[in-house]
Amino acid sequence: MSQWLANVIDRADSVNDWLSPARQEALTRLKETSWPTRRTEAWRYTSLHALENSTFTGSTAGVTAEAPVITGLNSIDLIFIDGKPTTDIKALTLPAGVTISPLTTTDTAMQERANKVFNQVKPGEHLFGMVNDALAQQGVFIDVAEGARIEQPIRIVNLVSDGVESHHRVLVNLGAKAQVTIIEHGAGHGHSMNTAFAEYVLGTEAKLEHYRFALHGQDAIHIGGSHFKMGESSRLNSTIVGYGSQISRIDTDVVHAAEHAIAKMNCVYLLAPKEHFDLHSLIEHAKPNGTTEQNARGIVGDKARAVFSGRILIQPNAQKTLAELHNRNLLLSRGAQISTTPALEIYADDVQCAHGATIAEIADEDLYYLQTRGIKRSQALIMLNFGFIQELVGQMPNKALAAWLEPLLRERFAMMEPQ
Amino acid sequence: MLSIKNLHASIEDNEILKGLDFEVKPGEVHAIMGPNGAGKSTLGYVLSGRTEYEVTEGKVEFEERDLLGLEIDERARAGLFLAFQYPVEIPGVSNMEFLKESVNAQRKERGEDQLTAAEFLKKAKTACAQVNLPLEFLKRGVNEGFSGGEKKRNEIMQMIMLEPKLCILDESDSGLDIDALKVVADGVNSQRDGKRSFIVITHYQRLLDFIKPDYVHILADGKIVKSGGPELAKEVEASGYAWLEDHEEANA
Repeated sequence: MSQWLANVIDRADSVNDWLSPARQEALTRLKETSWPTRRTEAWRYTSLHALENSTFTGSTAGVTAEAPVITGLNSIDLIFIDGKPTTDIKALTLPAGVTISPLTTTDTAMQERANKVFNQVKPGEHLFGMVNDALAQQGVFIDVAEGARIEQPIRIVNLVSDGVESHHRVLVNLGAKAQVTIIEHGAGHGHSMNTAFAEYVLGTEAKLEHYRFALHGQDAIHIGGSHFKMGESSRLNSTIVGYGSQISRIDTDVVHAAEHAIAKMNCVYLLAPKEHFDLHSLIEHAKPNGTTEQNARGIVGDKARAVFSGRILIQPNAQKTLAELHNRNLLLSRGAQISTTPALEIYADDVQCAHGATIAEIADEDLYYLQTRGIKRSQALIMLNFGFIQELVGQMPNKALAAWLEPLLRERFAMMEPQ
Repeated sequence: MLSIKNLHASIEDNEILKGLDFEVKPGEVHAIMGPNGAGKSTLGYVLSGRTEYEVTEGKVEFEERDLLGLEIDERARAGLFLAFQYPVEIPGVSNMEFLKESVNAQRKERGEDQLTAAEFLKKAKTACAQVNLPLEFLKRGVNEGFSGGEKKRNEIMQMIMLEPKLCILDESDSGLDIDALKVVADGVNSQRDGKRSFIVITHYQRLLDFIKPDYVHILADGKIVKSGGPELAKEVEASGYAWLEDHEEANA
């Protein structure tokens, strides 16, 4: 038994709020779950050893994290530092059609609506999902009314300081034909521990533009997920960007619960030496005529390790599904590692699917082309290596976010590139 | 400016160039014509330094330097430019970034200051307008999703931006309709200043109606088999390349 988990269970017993019935149910399951080992399939390539017996004693005094400013984004910012809100959510002026409530809300009508999202999308068996169910008292519920088109992006910033453990939850409901952009922006300093799970329910013809940035430091432990339930003809455009950490694990799952939904998902990871990043994804097509396109690309620096496990599951009646899943990796040195398992599980006979995983190499032809214009080989290599992930950053629909992210990634990449 | 002597080059042990001699002086426009498989594109690749091609014999001097001893990028910075027949697409690198890097690499070599963002943009605007490419193309990945004609015009645009001393155009006319051909030719002609030299590689005489060469050479089986003035291109137009077989038999 992990000391850390025993401690979680202890603390969970004393949590008492309007979500308690759901929390207790998760806690019961949690108590029956054993600590993952290397033989546990979902954690096969990601060791939890660093967390197993850790304790987090709280923030060192005087360190105050600040939410990164993104020029031109003009977002509604909901800021949480070390698990506590620093934004007065009730005092925000919001566009018509959107309501944002802290999880600590006492408004029973909101509680009732939030309960229709809480644990309705996220799979039940994820160990840290259960931990989050039991302990996450902070977070937000965002409700976008039917037909409301919210132009202003909503950014949820979740910062964790050295020595702190925090648990954070995001619940989002999009009514029919509602449109919104949501950014889950996470960062952590020093040796911190954070679980952050988000659940999204998309109504008929709803459109969600989603971003998740897991930009935690190399000593941080970050485990979380973004989970989506697609309504009929709904649209999801999701981009996940991750740095590696001591442990960084993100699960992104999509359920096509109705027909004609389209999910486009990009993921980019850029791992500095010795970092670890694990992306797990399960896309389930439960109904016919759905479309999924998933592209995960990463650059892995020396002694860093990336794990990708992507599964597309097509249920027997999900005919006419179009699904593609690609994982491409660029290893910067011999010490870099990638464990990738793309999988298609198809139980319907009339579908179009493709999947693949590659360890990419820079094409000689591309290198030659840049050199014929006078660019030195070393510089051309940097441009092409970075271009490999920049292609997906360039596809982000929000240009202010792309413009903010690109130089950050470039800077990080410049430090990684072997000279 | 360029002097090629007895050039032999192979790819995967297949000899393509078999003793090519050729001289270009400043300001001259040379057309190289010939049937498919004669080694026309190989000549461009070998001069640019493509590593798959091995030079087994011969000498190439460019501006009094040993061209074959230079790296690909050094050749480019020395003033050699190859406009590709099939330029590659590089989605993650924007045209803007690519052009800036190239232009500044060349300027650095010449001891000139780097262009400011405003200066660069002004220059790029003019070059784009000259070949009829919308400025938005600069934001897209290098040749990403460009049509065949757009790729060719992008090559000419780069040529205009980089101001090379010697331009090699590898079938810049192939696949173009007459309007696109005129745009490419106008772009090239605008760069003729009496000092800059051109080697125009083409299968058809058509391009040479728009880019008037000083000399025409026929390349067959890795060698130049005939040289002459612009009238030689007309001859080829009229009789095709079939006479080459007779020529080879006569040589045998």
